[in-house]
Amino acid sequence: MDRKEEKLVNYLERLPQMSVPSDFSFQVMDRIEARQRRSYPFGNFKKLAIVSLALVFLVALFFTELPLFPQLNITGLSGYRRVELKFYALSENPKTVAVAGDFSDWNTLQMEKKDNNSWVITLKVKPGKYQYSFVIDGREWVPDPRSYRKIEDGFGGVNSVLVVNGG
Amino acid sequence: MTDKTDREIIVEVLNGNRDFFCLLVQKYERPIFNYIFRMVRSKPDAEDLAQDTFVKAFYALNKYDSTYEFSTWIYRIALNVCRDYFRKKKLFLYSLSAPIGDEEESEFEDFIPQDSFHNPDDVLLNQELRLNLEKAIQDLPIKFREVIVLRHLEGLSYDEISSITGLPVGTVKTYLHRARKKLQDELGEFLE
Repeated sequence: MDRKEEKLVNYLERLPQMSVPSDFSFQVMDRIEARQRRSYPFGNFKKLAIVSLALVFLVALFFTELPLFPQLNITGLSGYRRVELKFYALSENPKTVAVAGDFSDWNTLQMEKKDNNSWVITLKVKPGKYQYSFVIDGREWVPDPRSYRKIEDGFGGVNSVLVVNGG
Repeated sequence: MTDKTDREIIVEVLNGNRDFFCLLVQKYERPIFNYIFRMVRSKPDAEDLAQDTFVKAFYALNKYDSTYEFSTWIYRIALNVCRDYFRKKKLFLYSLSAPIGDEEESEFEDFIPQDSFHNPDDVLLNQELRLNLEKAIQDLPIKFREVIVLRHLEGLSYDEISSITGLPVGTVKTYLHRARKKLQDELGEFLE
């Protein structure tokens, strides 16, 4: 180490120290306390909240008729709503598909064929809850495969339930 | 204070006597705070980062390897806290020509005066030297600044610096040599 370097080291070692705030250690302990208060109860609370919300959602999905999955395109029309129902044939290839329900006094309404396995119809209905079924080739009544909401029809079969919001 | 060693205090903390950690903080707050201040050159940031260092140490205490000195371990945490700070601030390539502003000068006023500053002429000379030296340290690349601060301002050994930075001792010596060379170049006239 030459003279200049020695001088430099001497200067470096003589640089003054910064004073630490007198309450520094207490501030550290406060931060530790605060973090523990935040992490433990809140961490558990967060998990609990997520699980609770998931449970509420599942209950609402399977045991209520709330419109959780709006599979319908609805637009306002002076008190009426436009509702588009779709039917997808999964295996067989029906020649005709119709829909019948409370909204048509259980008269069948023919659906329009969109492509090889899908049919569509746009209904004009007032807000409310309606039972309905699809009618395949004029003879086979099936509930909507895309709807989770089903109800017994009183004749040993099952109808789907359509909920049309009023908002 | 207490007669307990660092290891004994750590055992107390790990056994649930959390307040004992305050003793460790009080013992190491000054070197850690000064090390961080030398690195980041902002008093509020240094205070925040130093607190952060101790909080991190508290929560990592169960992973503390007692084959190391606690002092080495806490410096390593402080070093990583500073590296994170620079990474976030994207200051790794901090400009070499960054001017010293009023704010920085005012922060130096907080330093505890040394004996050599009592003569008014010496004060002027030393303040100028000190500011230039501080600026030269600040302008060093981070990796050089880390070793120069640890070695010459904190007074740590090559082995301790190697353990803190994770660099081989040979590299530590090389960095120190190059850092001192840079400082000499910056301080030219003051070292004549």
